Amino acid sequence: MPGTNKLRVMLMRIEVRVFSGLEKYLPGVAFGQAFSVELPEGSTPRDLLSRLGIPEEQVFTVLKNGRHLSWDGILQDGDRIGLFPPVGGG
Amino acid sequence: MPKILRVNVSTREVKMEEAPEKYLGLGGRALTSQIVFDEVPPTCDPLGEYNKLVIAPGLLSGTSAPSSGRLSVGGKSPLTGTIKEANAGGITSQKLANLDIKAVVLEGKPADDKWYGVKIDKNGAELFDASDLAGKGTYEVTAICRQRFGEKVGVITIGPAGEMLMLAAGVTNNDGEGNSSRYAGRGGLGAVMGSKRIKAIVVDSPTTFDVPVKDPERFKAAARKFSKILLDHPVCGQGLPSYGTNVLMNIINEAGALPVRNFRFGRFEQAANVSGEKLAEVAVARGGKATHACHPGCVMRCSNVYPLPDGKVCAPIEYETAWGFGPNLEIGDLDVVARLNYICNDVGLDTIETACTLGVLMEAGVIPFGDGQAAIAALEEVAKGTALGRIIGSGAAVAGKVFGVTRVPVVKGQGIPAYDPRACKGNGVTYATTPMGADHTAGYAVTANILKVGGFVDPLSKDGQVDLSRNLQIATAAVDATGLCLFVAFAVLDNPDGVPTICEMLNAQYGLSLTPDDVVKLGQSILKVEREFNRLAGFTSKDDRLPEFFYSEPIESHNVKFDVTDEELDSVFNF
Repeated sequence: MPGTNKLRVMLMRIEVRVFSGLEKYLPGVAFGQAFSVELPEGSTPRDLLSRLGIPEEQVFTVLKNGRHLSWDGILQDGDRIGLFPPVGGG
Repeated sequence: MPKILRVNVSTREVKMEEAPEKYLGLGGRALTSQIVFDEVPPTCDPLGEYNKLVIAPGLLSGTSAPSSGRLSVGGKSPLTGTIKEANAGGITSQKLANLDIKAVVLEGKPADDKWYGVKIDKNGAELFDASDLAGKGTYEVTAICRQRFGEKVGVITIGPAGEMLMLAAGVTNNDGEGNSSRYAGRGGLGAVMGSKRIKAIVVDSPTTFDVPVKDPERFKAAARKFSKILLDHPVCGQGLPSYGTNVLMNIINEAGALPVRNFRFGRFEQAANVSGEKLAEVAVARGGKATHACHPGCVMRCSNVYPLPDGKVCAPIEYETAWGFGPNLEIGDLDVVARLNYICNDVGLDTIETACTLGVLMEAGVIPFGDGQAAIAALEEVAKGTALGRIIGSGAAVAGKVFGVTRVPVVKGQGIPAYDPRACKGNGVTYATTPMGADHTAGYAVTANILKVGGFVDPLSKDGQVDLSRNLQIATAAVDATGLCLFVAFAVLDNPDGVPTICEMLNAQYGLSLTPDDVVKLGQSILKVEREFNRLAGFTSKDDRLPEFFYSEPIESHNVKFDVTDEELDSVFNF
């Protein structure tokens, strides 16, 4: 929007997928369906969950580009993020 | 007194003998491996006179211990040439245990080419003429036996693949609804059963949970506690009961460890279409079940019932199978996966081995990657016994040789399951070193590598993977002896009360005083027996290696190779 440039925080765009029931928090999004989220630079998985409205205790695993990320890990522009509740099998 | 049922197919003698003292403390894999070690010459022909097929319930099978109904089937593997234990759900383990039978041993070599069945009930056991069952698929055989001997019988059987002695043939038994899809699939033990010309073993027991227990009150308390330990764990209590084993598809894909196109890539765009979430959606919409217990008393219920469009029912589609016929072949259609799964169940083939074999055939250009209908048509050749059908039934290693393919994902001749060893290195160590040939269940390092159960070990780094695999291989051997489902490990690894509670159940049942240390020793001794059998059969450390492309070709999802050194692999069994 015009006029807000001075206050603009640098935003980054990340690609998110949710699985195994977490999609119930995101009406209109199917499991495995990629969607993008804009967040301020320096955001963490906690910030992402808060933006998405997914309770933290529902999420067991955060994968960033195929690697585990801690709650305090830093997200970066272009990251592929997968969110999972507890899963296992074999 | 616990008994061992011996069926000598040379003499047609069926003998129920008292179990020797030395076997009383053994069950499941501990017992099958020990009997194979004691009685089968390691260099024998797996399909000849001297091999034996040993079927054993676990130490806790037939009690009220939760999820304790697993069945072990053992012998010398015609696929790998190693000792083999293949493990199955289904209802027969509990029935055998309730008949006080510690093991069924098929031995000898038939003098003629007739087919027989074995009927076991509380009065003993006898052979019956099974010529009318020969040539039939496992679903039909099971249905006929249930009609003939009663709806509640358990039926252990082989399909035409086992009858034709195909190296990838499995031994199956049924779930409570009569689906003949609970496979001791791996290693070609179905061909061993076929070589004995036993088409079916029918187990009729009036009870399920009534194995004698020395101290019933103490046992009940321990079993209740164990049940709570399982249900309180997020994976055993929530993850598995919601979507079953195929819930793994998406997380393994996101982790970049999903073998795609015969282990060329680590991610598949259509993974979600063949995942547990999709399976649950379709199964329920068609009147099937998203979750299902493979045997009575299982609290995790990770199985499923998937109705095919033509009304046939595939129960279950497991993660390994969905991966093998899905991403591994670049097929993203769950109905195609289910059809291939159903055909394997019916004809009697291990789905993992068959999936790897179809991957090799696609690599060779015999059928195109991604072509589900061509894969179905090829698999239908197996029951007909055509040349192509026999190659498919012979496993990935043979198919690779026949078609001149070098990119063959096997260890010791057995197909590698659904986790890429470069992006899940702990499993790579297990594939390379387990006495069983590539086997994910023998030391399921996916736990700490990807699921963050039992700690965390970075899947892409080789650090800590040898220790992880060693400890898991030891623990797994012990769990396989109890008859508990391996999935109890998710909870047991995370809960310090887990192993002591298993000990408490065993102690209450048998009047023992086992400690967690004894459980570790049991696991170690099982592995030692199995390794020794393999050594005497001619296996050396050079067999404990992965195919060379895993060392030379990085997986693109993470740009990593398998880099655990030979010396490190050789240290796995240094206990």
